[in-house]
Parts: sequence; structure tokens; C-alpha cells
Amino acid sequence: MKAESRLKRVLQKGHFAVTAECGPPKGADPKVIRKKGKILKGFVDGVNVTDNQTGVVRLSSLASCVLLKKDGLDPVLQMVTRDRNRIALQSDILGASVLGIRNILCLTGDHQSFGNQPQAKGVFDIDSVQLVQLVRQMRDKGLILGGEKLTEPPDLFIGAVANPFADPFDYRVIRLGKKVAAGAEFIQTQCIYNLGRFKEWMGKVREHGIDKKVYILGGITPLKSARMAEYMRENVAGMDVPEEIISRMKSVPAGEQRREGLKIAVETIEELKEIEGVHGVHIMAIEWEDAVPQITEEAGLIPRPDV
Amino acid sequence: MITAERKPLSEIKEMIAPYRKILIVGCGSCVAECASGGEKEVGILASLLRMDARKEERDIEVKEITLDRQCVYEFIDQLTDLIDKYDAVLSLGCGAGVQAVAEVFSQAIVVPALNTTFIGETKEAGLWVENCRACGDCKLGYFAAVCPVTRCSKGLFNGPCGGSKDGKCEVDPDTSCAWQLIVERLDKRGQLDLLEKVYPPADWSRQQGKGPRKIKREDQTI
Amino acid sequence: MDQKSAGLKVTFFFCQQIDEHQDVNRRALEKEFGSEIRFFPLPCSGRIEPQHLMRALESGADKVYVITCPEGACRYREGNMRARKRLTFAQGLIEEIGLERERLELINLPAGTITTIDKLARELLAREALVGPSSLQAQALEGKKLGVA
Repeated sequence: MKAESRLKRVLQKGHFAVTAECGPPKGADPKVIRKKGKILKGFVDGVNVTDNQTGVVRLSSLASCVLLKKDGLDPVLQMVTRDRNRIALQSDILGASVLGIRNILCLTGDHQSFGNQPQAKGVFDIDSVQLVQLVRQMRDKGLILGGEKLTEPPDLFIGAVANPFADPFDYRVIRLGKKVAAGAEFIQTQCIYNLGRFKEWMGKVREHGIDKKVYILGGITPLKSARMAEYMRENVAGMDVPEEIISRMKSVPAGEQRREGLKIAVETIEELKEIEGVHGVHIMAIEWEDAVPQITEEAGLIPRPDV
Repeated sequence: MITAERKPLSEIKEMIAPYRKILIVGCGSCVAECASGGEKEVGILASLLRMDARKEERDIEVKEITLDRQCVYEFIDQLTDLIDKYDAVLSLGCGAGVQAVAEVFSQAIVVPALNTTFIGETKEAGLWVENCRACGDCKLGYFAAVCPVTRCSKGLFNGPCGGSKDGKCEVDPDTSCAWQLIVERLDKRGQLDLLEKVYPPADWSRQQGKGPRKIKREDQTI
Repeated sequence: MDQKSAGLKVTFFFCQQIDEHQDVNRRALEKEFGSEIRFFPLPCSGRIEPQHLMRALESGADKVYVITCPEGACRYREGNMRARKRLTFAQGLIEEIGLERERLELINLPAGTITTIDKLARELLAREALVGPSSLQAQALEGKKLGVA
């Protein structure tokens, strides 16, 4: 049976989609990813695997996606342009398709200076927008960069990311439009704590008619503690964690902060369901994958639809 | 200009350790502008090396000379009568100068006193910033004269990335986000539409070349 | 221990604005100490360059002073601040060859000081004599500013 993208089918059928993120281990160990996959199975439509996130060497996204595919999940291959030139990227796109992976998320990637290989050469041969355009061209026209024909085009549902909270604020929607024009079919946003700002951004998105051209999944990261909230605000670029969220987390004793973080996540999802133009949620519970079943259940997203 | 910084003295000493008579050659162009290899710096380095030798009771002879430019034969030629009188040349030129001198005087031992760093501008007195990466395919006209190759940490042509915050780059809070600058400038002159189309992948072969790049102009040959 | 037998060679770079008769006033000292001391008047202390300090040390000075006008009183506004930055830079340079930073010293006259170059020089030399050539560290501990003559 030909491999298909469940995520695509769910979105095309108009359901509120759920994706989650999975971080591979720092070692040649298949068990970790498989364990995470088993936790998520049945609670999500697609599972993203990060690509050497933050420039830290981990089991490759491609290998991890293959493991997840074998266990019956629908993986989303995250591909950054930081580490590979166009030759390697195009080659891996073909490889992913051949191995049954049907979703790709195109990103630039965090700068290499953040990770454990700061002396590495950051490749950045192309950027994320050019990568979206490239995958689209390979899939729909069967052409690689430069115009040469592929013997067989890859089959991938193409995604990109958007950050409603980074600067310059006004230009963000124009850039999103660019990614859509380049060929992005679904968007996963940076995690949302500032619903007000997100709604403002979505207003602009709708104004430009972008919500009609692309499926948007709002990002959610459940907070484990008040300290985590503060850390994210101080240290993670492009993150907007409002004071109310931090005080809310602080107002609760340490032992109950996880519970509160989950509550906030569920509340945010309930709000997202009501925003016109939001087609799903992307839950990034890195190293807390077992929070996903609970969150999705409490947010009324279970069972996942039959498509 | 091409900027450079003087190597730590310990490194310089190690390179010239085997030699007794040193010819220090400065350059009056770029490295003089960034206060690392001009006549003044030649004087300072010569003094330091002599005092150091005296302290360690070593015998050393140091001659100072500064060429207008160290990468052009007409100027390098001024060393012709001096070169054989010294055991080694300690060049305060940029990498281009060091090698040009070594090419002209193929028997001479030429070592660098500087670490050549980048192509840049003098932003203010005492501050030099990189602004060009010699990509060989200048796109400044499309990006409001802000080079995305050089000034965007990720070299994006369709930026900004998600890490741009308050006009600063995620990699260094002291670095402006180049894309914020580009967007602001184009917006101010009503040219944001220049960014609507996806800027295609660059031709990096123009920067990489097949080994060292060269320019040949027949009309300029003798 | 008198000043002469301290045997130190001292160089004074100083701002001319400190003493309008510096030309005459330093003659007596120059005669008394001969080659042990040298004076370099500057139109402004901000004209001092690291290579002047290097050459002074290279020609045998054990100690080099740069005497500037009081903070805020520089006729050319930032000259004395520039002098301080350059002296600090030069101190870093000599440290690279294992010389003590204290061989170079900036004397920033306190506001309102009225003195002459010979008086100033004698006080500094007296300080050197007391402390001796081997305790440059101790001088640093004493502090950088000179008391009013």
C-alpha cells in the first residue's frame, strides 16, 4: 500500500489536526524514539522529529522518522538548511520519500554557535523559503535546482514555520505570505503564550487571505515550572512569555506547577479551536512527550478522526 | 578595507625565534587604517621585540620599514636591496601582503605578524565592523545596501528568521538583525514590494571559485 | 637614600599647559640629573602615542610618567582621557614581554593644582627614591594621584 500523509488527509477533510514533536537521543539508540512514538500513537495525526535542534548533535531526523514510520506513525521530517548544502538536501528529500516519509517541515535552523559544535561551518547554502520552493518544484515539476529532471518525483506534504512573536511584527505576515507563495501547504507556529498577540497576528493573516491558502497549526509548549517560563522568556530568541503567565505559574506551589502548565496548555488549545483560520495544534512537549495524551484528552481532541 | 589584528606576541616570538636579523615590514594602507600594521605599529612591535630580546639576553637586530602597499610589486620592490641583509621578514601586511612579498622574494622567509580578519568599514574611531564577504555577486541593490550574506548570521535571502528580537540577532545581542534593517529601509521608501518575490538560491561558486579566484584584464596588461 | 643614588632613569612626558615656564624650569633638573632624567613637553597629553612610550623604555627608562591636566580641565577637551586610554594600551603591550605595567604611570593632576614641572618632577623622583627600583608594585599600591605641592 502506498504511503500517505495522514496529516494531510486530516487537514483536507477539515478536521482540527494535532501534531506533536519528538526529540531524538544523543546516541545510536533506536529505543528512545520508538518509546516516544508509542506514547504518542493514537493521540496525534503527525509526529515531527527535530533536526539537530539548537545545533546539538543527535540521531538524525531522517533515521528517527523511519523508525516511527515502521511503528505506524505519520512522521514529519524536519529539515534545516544549516547543515547541508543543496546537493545533500535534495538527496535527502528523495531518500525521505523513498523511505515512506510523507511530510517535511522546512526550516533554516538555529545558528551553530548555540550547540555543542560551535566550530562547525554553518552551511546555509539556501534558506528555508528557498527550501520550500525547492521541495515544491521537485514534487510538482520533478525538477531539481538548475532544471534537471528527476526520474521520479518525491511525494511530500510541505510545511514551514512561522513566528508571530518575532520582529519586525508587521513584516511577519508578509514573510508568511512569501512562504505560502513559495509552496508551503501547512504552517506550524512558535509556541503561543501570548494569545492576544497571536490573535492580532491571525487577524492580519486573515486580512491577507493567507488562512485560505495554507493550513495553520498553532504551537503549544506546556510549561513544567515557573522557572522554565522565566528561562524561555530570557534565553530563547523569538519567544513571548507574558508576565501573567509567569505570575500564574509562580502563584502555584512548586509541586503543582506541572499541573498548572498543563492547564494553561489545554486552555490555550480551547482558544485556538475558536480562532478562525487556525486548523490545528502542534504540541512541542520536548522531553515531556507523555504530557501529550493528557493534553489532547483534556482538550477534547481524542479520539483522532478516522480518515 | 581589509582589517587585521596583531597576533599575540608569544606567537610572533615563536615564529621568529630561529632568526637573529629581522626585517619588519608594515603597510600604509588597510592595516594602517585599522591600527594594526602601519608605520606606528611597526615601531611599537620593533621596540617590544628589542626590549624583549634584551631582557632575555638574546641578540637581535630589527629593521623597520613601511611600504605604501604591501600587495603591489612596485612597492614591494623597495625591499630589494634590504632583503638579503636579514634572516627573516616579519610582515605586518594582511595575508595578501605577506604572500605577495613571499612571491617576489621567493628565497626569503616571510612570516605574518597579523591575523587578517575581514573586509569592513570604520564605523567610528576604534571600531571596525565587517560588511562584505566578497561573494563575487553583489546583491546590495536588492537589499537596501545591507548585505544579507555578511550581516545576517544565517545568510538568509528571504529573512528574517524567527530569532530576530527588538532589532537584534539571536546569535549576538549586540548585533543588529540585518533583515530588520532591510525591511525598515525598504518600508521607509515604499519599496517593500522588492521583497515579495522569493529570492532564489545564490550562486556560491562565485565566492568559492575553483581554488583561489582571479581577475584577468587584457586592457590592463603591459 | 638620596635621589641620585637611586640610579633610576626616569622619563617625563607632560602637558605644557601645566607650567607655562616649563622650558626654563626644567633646566636645573636636567643639569642636576644629566642623562638619568628626560623631559618631553607635549602640546597636549593627548598627543602621547604608545610608540613614544615604547621608545622611552627602549632607550633605557626604568619608569615613564605621563603627566596630564586635571580631569575636565583639558584645553582640548578629551586629550587627557585619550592619554589615559593610550597609556593603558601601552601597559598591555609591555606586559606581553614581561615588564610590569607600573613602569608606565599616568599622573592626573588633581583639580586646581598649581605647580611647576621641576617641583612635580622632584616629588615623583623622591617617591622613586624612597621606594626603590625593585618595588614598582608598592608604588602602584600607593596610588596614582600626586598630592598638591
